[in-house]
Amino acid sequence: MGQKHLADTKAQGTVSAPEESSRWQRRLADGIGYGTLIATLAVLFFFLVLPVSVIMSRAFIKDGEFTTQYFPLLFSNELLMQAILNSLYLALVTTFIATIVSFPLALINVRWDFRGKGLLSGLLLLPMVMPPFVGAIGILRFFARRGSVNLSLMKLEWIDRPIDWLGPDNMFWAVVVLLVLHLYPIMYLNLSAALANVDPSVEEMATTLGVPKWKQYRDIVWPLARPGYFAGAIIVFIWAFTDLGTPLLVGFHETVPVQIFNMITDVNENPIGYTLVFFVILMTVSFFLLSKLALGGKKYEMMAKGHVSSGQKRAGFWGSVAIYGLILSVVVTALIPHLAVIVTAFSDKWFMTVLPQQYTGEHFKQVFESELAINGIKNSFFLAGLSTLLDIVLGLLVAYVVVRRLIPFAGLLDSLVMVPLALPGIVLAFGYVVTYTGTWLDPLHNPVPLLVIAYAIRRLPYMVRSASAGLQQMSPSLEEASTTFGASRFHTLRKVTVPLVTANLIAGALLCFSYAMLDVSDSLILAMKERFYPLTKAIYVLFLEQGTGELVASALGIIGMVILALCIMGASLILGKKMGELFRS
Amino acid sequence: MEVVFKGIYKRYGQTTAVHDLNLTIERGALHFLLGPSGCGKTTTLRMLAGLEKPSEGQLFFNGVDVTHQPAVERGIGMVFQNYALWPHMTVLKNIEYGLKLRKLTAGEIQKRIDEVMSITHLKQYADRLPGQLSGGQQQRVALARALAIRPNVLLLDEPLSNLDAKLRMEMRDNILRIHKQTGITTLYVTHDQREALSMGTQVSVMHAGHLVQTDQPRALYSFPKSAFIAGFIGETNLLDGKIVSCDDAEAVVESPVGTLRSKRFNQTFAKGSAVTLSLRPEAVRIDWDKSGLGENYFKAKIDHLTYLGESEQFQLNTDAGLTLKVNFYHAPEHNFLEGDTIGCSIAADDVLVLPTQKEMGPRT
Repeated sequence: MGQKHLADTKAQGTVSAPEESSRWQRRLADGIGYGTLIATLAVLFFFLVLPVSVIMSRAFIKDGEFTTQYFPLLFSNELLMQAILNSLYLALVTTFIATIVSFPLALINVRWDFRGKGLLSGLLLLPMVMPPFVGAIGILRFFARRGSVNLSLMKLEWIDRPIDWLGPDNMFWAVVVLLVLHLYPIMYLNLSAALANVDPSVEEMATTLGVPKWKQYRDIVWPLARPGYFAGAIIVFIWAFTDLGTPLLVGFHETVPVQIFNMITDVNENPIGYTLVFFVILMTVSFFLLSKLALGGKKYEMMAKGHVSSGQKRAGFWGSVAIYGLILSVVVTALIPHLAVIVTAFSDKWFMTVLPQQYTGEHFKQVFESELAINGIKNSFFLAGLSTLLDIVLGLLVAYVVVRRLIPFAGLLDSLVMVPLALPGIVLAFGYVVTYTGTWLDPLHNPVPLLVIAYAIRRLPYMVRSASAGLQQMSPSLEEASTTFGASRFHTLRKVTVPLVTANLIAGALLCFSYAMLDVSDSLILAMKERFYPLTKAIYVLFLEQGTGELVASALGIIGMVILALCIMGASLILGKKMGELFRS
Repeated sequence: MEVVFKGIYKRYGQTTAVHDLNLTIERGALHFLLGPSGCGKTTTLRMLAGLEKPSEGQLFFNGVDVTHQPAVERGIGMVFQNYALWPHMTVLKNIEYGLKLRKLTAGEIQKRIDEVMSITHLKQYADRLPGQLSGGQQQRVALARALAIRPNVLLLDEPLSNLDAKLRMEMRDNILRIHKQTGITTLYVTHDQREALSMGTQVSVMHAGHLVQTDQPRALYSFPKSAFIAGFIGETNLLDGKIVSCDDAEAVVESPVGTLRSKRFNQTFAKGSAVTLSLRPEAVRIDWDKSGLGENYFKAKIDHLTYLGESEQFQLNTDAGLTLKVNFYHAPEHNFLEGDTIGCSIAADDVLVLPTQKEMGPRT
């Protein structure tokens, strides 16, 4: 309707609502906004739904007809069945040990206050940014037959023959240790958040009723903390189940990710690859649902908040000593593989001695002289940067649409963007190769678009979580106020919403960037030409090279870790305590 | 501008938040929407603003149907309960925002900013961020921001509920003054009956999604249409009664405190019908000298005495087990103690007879 009808003669006779011209502009802005939203949905469809569907369909189709005959083939393949069992066992043991390591740490974090708590808590998170496959290089050095560990033990005369630490029987444990040391912070963050959510007053209440402490943990603390625990546990489980880099470098090839990796090359001749991948998707999704629905149980709202900190006790002298001892021993253990990498990277002559005889910066110099390495760094910065930009746009839009319930089935969209948490990176990369080989997106030709999208899609959950956290804290009335003034939705988004969630966006972006920088599975599979190798593939290729390759790979790995450490420190500075929310299912 | 709600419903799934709302807000009025929390008053306000769509019914601005007009085109100025000031913008930027969207000339923008800033006494705070302001100042910024666009209708959603008692009094005067100066049609939502009675020209009372009465403050207090309104607007004692006789001039009602005569009722009641009596605590008189005389005389025991300085509150208990509250301003010196029996009376003019209603359940 026209403005003339609206203008109240008494209300000072001037125009109150926006004029016609701005209405047109508003339509345009809305159009652009909704267009972006549709593009977002298209990206999710083409690069998440479609590749997974293609794999699924190929697992059931032979010569254009439906068949289930590949499954008996899969189940009778001893190598693959062994790989599945190994991976399951690996994931289970990793999750179990990570729980045992992080439970006391989380309990200390929530219940005790002590000097230097902030610093120590920060140190505990450090291993999260230390890529385990780089750590593997160091471990291989230290625990080799003639490596530092055996040599020290022999020098001490505790053993007289070198122990085969990384022999076929022990490789499993080497991978477990590396993964636990990498993943326990995720468990620790989730357990801390879960325990902090238990109002101490409910326990105090139980104490006044004379309920023994262990019963309080069993009957009160655990049921309340359980959903938080499983939200973290499933992330650790799936991560361990699908991690490619660590078993690949350690040489533990009888695992699912490595088997899938090996199958990529003959994907068009051998349909068993699809069947395996399909089976893996089935398993991860089932585990995911199981943890959410059955194990996690109901989420209880705590009535009173804000008294949580009052439950903290101040540690005395001996208490502090014990706490320091525990935390530092975990941190130091977790950093040993990476210390080993540092020693390796700086080592000059190192043969049959515990530590190198000479140190040198030569390998770092070699990094900067190697085209492969330099290109790797450049490519990774470029790819990770682009994918992070994509994540910011996609993540913000998805979070906005979901939190503000702007479209029907917003919950479905939310679940869809969380799928990459349950979907192994190797499966997604596999799906891309299968779906887009022979199209203009063919990774053989130029893998950049697919790499950027793969990086972006896999880290999208972190970005969406981060942005959602910000949006949920922001009162919708701030946006409604803008609407009543005649601002379009996307004008409001730009002027009001985005400035208010900037911190969340930056933190999410830093995380996306870091994880994209050190992505292994997508990089190894999709980057098929040397020119396009990202950092991680460069490290892997250097590692496989004879001569000083391993040493240069270590040096390059350290450079990567430094970049990642800086990013994560930035993120945790900005996000503070909310860091844990990013790593939940 | 005149605003008319016609047969408006708002449903959320199974629940109906607003039920068949018919209401006219007159041009230039300061109209109050009063009710307990959850009664549907904020939903009503949000429908007027265009932030919610009615499930049924029509909304008219000056006779034009705006039911389907989006919020951005309605020219509404709204003050949110939490103020919704944009924390990343200064006071000036907050106020300027709506003006810039209107593509006004720089001069006009400046003129309007000056105008609302002086009306709300905010001049010296132009460059502050909302976080650096006190609650009262933030409230004024929210008001200035809404006024700057010269809205067709100004909506105030519990604007004073976040302020302390003293500031609240001050802001009441401020809002009244600004309303007088601008003459903007204003809908003011509150659960505070004092606010509504003291400020409103018209007050609409909502209860469980229904609009139950619209009246001037005095009429609302003296002649509430239902027991709920009588209890919600001010304090009252509600008694069950049964009509003994009723003609145009007087009704005789049997009640737990004995037979009461009333001269205050709006309809004729049939003999034997069940009614509810409303006795305001300040209308009950106490027989200080034990004279045993007075209109509608009855006896009660003092359960509890509360001395409040300017007034004294008696909590009485009758033989029938009924608890009555009685307030006295300037109570004379007396030596009644808790447990004593005293005589009370109440004028027939102060005994309000209301039809007994089934309690309106939760929104259906």
